[in-house]
Amino acid sequence: MSGISDTERMITLKTVEGTLFDVKSSIAKDIKTVQAFIDDSDDDVTSPIPLPNVFTRELSRILDYLNNHHRFRSDIEKADEEMARYDAEFAKSMSHEELKALILAANYLNVKDLLEFLNQTVADVIQNKSVEFVRNFFGIENDYTPEEEEKLRNENEWAFNGVEQD
Amino acid sequence: MDLQALPEGCIANILSLTTPLDAGRLSLISRTFCSAAQSDSVWERFLPSDLESIISDSHQFSSLIAAYPSKKALYLHLSDHPLLIDHGRKSFQLDKRTGKKCYMIAARDLTIIWGSTPEYWEWITLPESRFKEVAKLLAVCWFEIRRNISTIILSPGTQYAAFLVYKMIDAHGFHLEPAELTVGIVGGISSTKSVCLDPNVEERHLGPNFQGLERPKERSDGWLEIEMGDFFNLGLEDEVEMKVIEIDSKWWKHGFFLQGIEVRPKIV
Repeated sequence: MSGISDTERMITLKTVEGTLFDVKSSIAKDIKTVQAFIDDSDDDVTSPIPLPNVFTRELSRILDYLNNHHRFRSDIEKADEEMARYDAEFAKSMSHEELKALILAANYLNVKDLLEFLNQTVADVIQNKSVEFVRNFFGIENDYTPEEEEKLRNENEWAFNGVEQD
Repeated sequence: MDLQALPEGCIANILSLTTPLDAGRLSLISRTFCSAAQSDSVWERFLPSDLESIISDSHQFSSLIAAYPSKKALYLHLSDHPLLIDHGRKSFQLDKRTGKKCYMIAARDLTIIWGSTPEYWEWITLPESRFKEVAKLLAVCWFEIRRNISTIILSPGTQYAAFLVYKMIDAHGFHLEPAELTVGIVGGISSTKSVCLDPNVEERHLGPNFQGLERPKERSDGWLEIEMGDFFNLGLEDEVEMKVIEIDSKWWKHGFFLQGIEVRPKIV
């Protein structure tokens, strides 16, 4: 018998707000930033690991995502299909604001699969959209001079044909 | 919530999941975005992974890489300048908007009935052709051009169309019967349509069976093209048949100059 035993070691994570989450060590392995912290500690980590950049709402969603993916993977036969369905629902349930908060948290925590999935979700949002829409979405200021912007627009003229009206 | 804090590498990852069109346009967002949008890691994803084997001539490949060291520059070059491959029998190009593979097969590499009989077809050089030779029709009744290709050379999961690329100069004999164009997967779905190949004949000189038939369009390079048909490339090893035929009129035809058949993604 393989799989997760009931006595698996638990790791405690602490968000910006001070909320504590108990996480199985097999899940923590997928959170590279946390795993690096554990690896760097000489002995068993017993006190909560502080995550100074991660808020409760995002950590809760990330753990939810990881728990579900672990559960799907234990049933090889249905794994791909169920995971795809879950991911689609997960993407749909997020507002743009939540998506952005989550991608920052996933990037900081270095959760590879989730980050890849969120990158794809963002890519789907910005595809075929205008420069103004994407600037707005990312909350990024235009730091070009008008001359630079004009020059760059001319260089990439071909890429401006047939863009959707936002 | 803003994503200013997102590192450039993460932005580059996101952009590599969009399209060349998006990555080109979104370099205008900001300096950080631009740097990500120009990066090799993004454009590497848009270039065919088997580029080296497509070009096959290793000397040609390495001089191309040397001339265009950045992946974006290489991408733009390959989408703006058809590259002669296969000893000049084909040209290879990227569809600029999608990065999908496009080929033109030179007239020399097509099967032209009577093509090697100098009284019927002449092989000439035209400066506006990308290939060394163009097939000039002197006179035939039996007008037939065909070629099969394997879909393995094309981008998978893509709707493709084949186009006949030609010119008509002082042409005659194409106004009596429409030409039949066929494209299809061998052993699968195939379609045939009737078209009017001659762009110049006035409507009143055409036979009644020409009513409402498609005519060629002028390309940006000055040649004419007409769509022969389309097919969906699943990415399996299918064989596609492409054929042009007009043998019903029993009239002598001339004044047709063939550059080749182009296979490229169909813009829907």
